[in-house]
Amino acid sequence: MPDSMKTFKPLDPLLHSELRLAVMSILISTDSADFVYLRGQTGATSGNLSVQLDKLQQAGYIEVTKGFKGKMPQTICHITDQGREAFAAYVEALRSYIPSGKN
Amino acid sequence: MENNLSAENSLRIIAETIERSRRTITKNSGKPLILWGVLVALFSLIIWGLWTKTGSPIWNFLWFAMSAIGFVCMKTLFRNREKVPETEVSRMLGKIWMWFGIFATGFFALVWVAWGIRSLTGVEGTFSVDLTLIILLMMGLGGTLSGAVLGNKVVTASSLIATTFAALFLMVMPTGSPLRILSFAILGVFALIVPGIILQKQGRE
Repeated sequence: MPDSMKTFKPLDPLLHSELRLAVMSILISTDSADFVYLRGQTGATSGNLSVQLDKLQQAGYIEVTKGFKGKMPQTICHITDQGREAFAAYVEALRSYIPSGKN
Repeated sequence: MENNLSAENSLRIIAETIERSRRTITKNSGKPLILWGVLVALFSLIIWGLWTKTGSPIWNFLWFAMSAIGFVCMKTLFRNREKVPETEVSRMLGKIWMWFGIFATGFFALVWVAWGIRSLTGVEGTFSVDLTLIILLMMGLGGTLSGAVLGNKVVTASSLIATTFAALFLMVMPTGSPLRILSFAILGVFALIVPGIILQKQGRE
């Protein structure tokens, strides 16, 4: 099928964001990640990261557990099954945007 | 910026983020190996020196002190570092070395229990258990399995070759010689420090 005839799959708007996509990419390759680690890996500010994590949590893509490690507060994020499925679907949809021969 | 993400950019972000995270995890999994390798090599030399000087193998109990120092170092040296997440690989590595520690300590204690029972009950005959060789082989197996789990042929080969040479050195040295304890220094360097450095280097590349 020529590229011009190709149908583009809709991209999940929640994942189609640089920071949220980076967070999901980290969580897809690890079981869980701490807030500090996510901030360091993405280079985001604490405030922005908190907002984006909240959005992902509200969508059911991640679970956020708040607790303490010793006296230090700790926020751990896990990806959910729903999050894994959404991420897989997003990557699959991305493929439809890549011209044939490039993917 | 969010709305201007192209498909290529999205794929690039996914690939780069996963790769960066993988490198950080790889680099950090090398640090404990280096720490334990340095401790094993150092204590091997200390015990060899004290054993040679005093003629008493009692200094082997310093291995327990090494374990305690290692755990304290793990808690303090890595306390302030970026909390690195666990992956299936890092969890398996942790379990391999945790079970090595349990087996080595347990076996060491078991030998002393057996020796005590024999002494108390007056069992005759030579009591011969090559504790050094058994622990050395377990440690070599731990290093080789770590390399296999990491999918790193250099780490696997380094541990395997180090175990072979250390075991050979041990078998050639006369029984009861303090020199035998130096086999742990060989293994500490080549099964722990070298793989640790390799992992750190891979994480930086």
